[in-house]
Amino acid sequence: MAGRVAQLSLFGVALLIGALLVGQLRSQARPIELANLSPQELSTLIETLSARNAELRDGLADLRDQVSDYERAAAEGQSSLAIGQEDLLRVEAFGGLGAVEGQGIVVEGEGSFDPTSVNDIIQELRNAGADAIAIDDIRITASSVAVLGTSAIEIDGVPIGRAFTVTAIGSPGGLTTAMTREGGLLQLLEQSIQARFTVREDRSLVVPATRRDLTPTAARPVE
Amino acid sequence: MSRRLPPRSRARVGSPRWALSIGLALASIGFVGAAQWNSSTVRQTVISSAQGVLIIQAEQRQREQEQLRAQIEEAEDRVREFQAQSAGSQSATDRLNQDLAAARLAVGLSDVTGPGVVIEIADSTRQVPVGENPSNYFVLADDLRDIVAALWASGAEAIAITGGGGEGGAPAERIVTTTSIYGAGSAILVNQALLSPPFRIEAIGPGDLHERFLANPFYIGRLSLRIETFGLQFASEARDEVRLPAFIGNTRLRWGAPERSD
Repeated sequence: MAGRVAQLSLFGVALLIGALLVGQLRSQARPIELANLSPQELSTLIETLSARNAELRDGLADLRDQVSDYERAAAEGQSSLAIGQEDLLRVEAFGGLGAVEGQGIVVEGEGSFDPTSVNDIIQELRNAGADAIAIDDIRITASSVAVLGTSAIEIDGVPIGRAFTVTAIGSPGGLTTAMTREGGLLQLLEQSIQARFTVREDRSLVVPATRRDLTPTAARPVE
Repeated sequence: MSRRLPPRSRARVGSPRWALSIGLALASIGFVGAAQWNSSTVRQTVISSAQGVLIIQAEQRQREQEQLRAQIEEAEDRVREFQAQSAGSQSATDRLNQDLAAARLAVGLSDVTGPGVVIEIADSTRQVPVGENPSNYFVLADDLRDIVAALWASGAEAIAITGGGGEGGAPAERIVTTTSIYGAGSAILVNQALLSPPFRIEAIGPGDLHERFLANPFYIGRLSLRIETFGLQFASEARDEVRLPAFIGNTRLRWGAPERSD
């Protein structure tokens, strides 16, 4: 009996040590992200998350309207083909399969760019919420990436020269602020590689559809 | 009348080995407990500062984001159900549904599966030398961007990023045309969702995707240098089957519209 009690006690002690050790090891990992951010960084993060949530709410509202349209069409025995066709246009425009018209900015750039700096420009526009982007007449899709070609930087297999035009559809003011801010990417490139940029807002822009076939060959839909 | 313990038990309890074992166990508990208390005290100090209110707000936004994503996913499913059962000309409906399915597949709005690669990258476990910037030893947004660029340039057809190790944690973020990957301090946002390390990047593509990735300049350059110099934890392998979720988020244009051909 005493032996059993001793065994159980040892088991309990070992379990407690194990639990404490696990907790201690976990706490050695990078500290909790949020607690590690400065108030300034937290404010920026909150702003970003709030903006995304606002977009998600808008998107959800549109989807619910679409569901209501389908329900109404079904109740009235009407064809919902028109609703479906609008959805197709939306999906194509979103992903680059269809051209997009709207307002935004045009950035003219010239300099000794490398692929990383071109990709950084694309990324900066995405960070600023651009709906659609083109460099020259190359529509930027999810898989578009600037690489070093045989004699020039290429995007989707198409060379771009020392001078190129970036068209971005999005909030004209928001995109302009993001691209021209003090210490921002364009300013850094102006200083590091002596690039030159002009940024102008435009209320009537067109970003073309991609010329690439985006149909995957290895990836297949989950049934 | 008291009972005497059997001789064997008495010898066991009274033995020096027994006392040593218990002593060591209690000392370990004391040490680890003290270390836990210290680390939780430090964390408590940080959280109770002026950042506390902001942290709560950030966590609220994250929870709201998760709820919105779930609602969007549900609404998308309903739309697809209606599209499948549309009234009207059956051949026109079938054609439209095929076009919609093909478009969704092409732009990241469908769950997909296929051969590919799995890459994991995590912060360095090395001690940061005095005077060095600790951020160098963390996975940065640039590292994830380089991995994604290397994968696309190597022929990947679909990519997703998961934070927190990927298993049972936050949902994976599918990379689509509007995807942004950027850092806010030591935090990284993908599709404006906060992800924490370790990061898992999965991609579907051609059979030699892994080999092509390892030979790609976006991997060999800046990223490999950071892995080697700062000891970022990195592993990659080819997989016969990778499964990626569809993008969940806003797909509506906010400042533009599909161009209509007249």
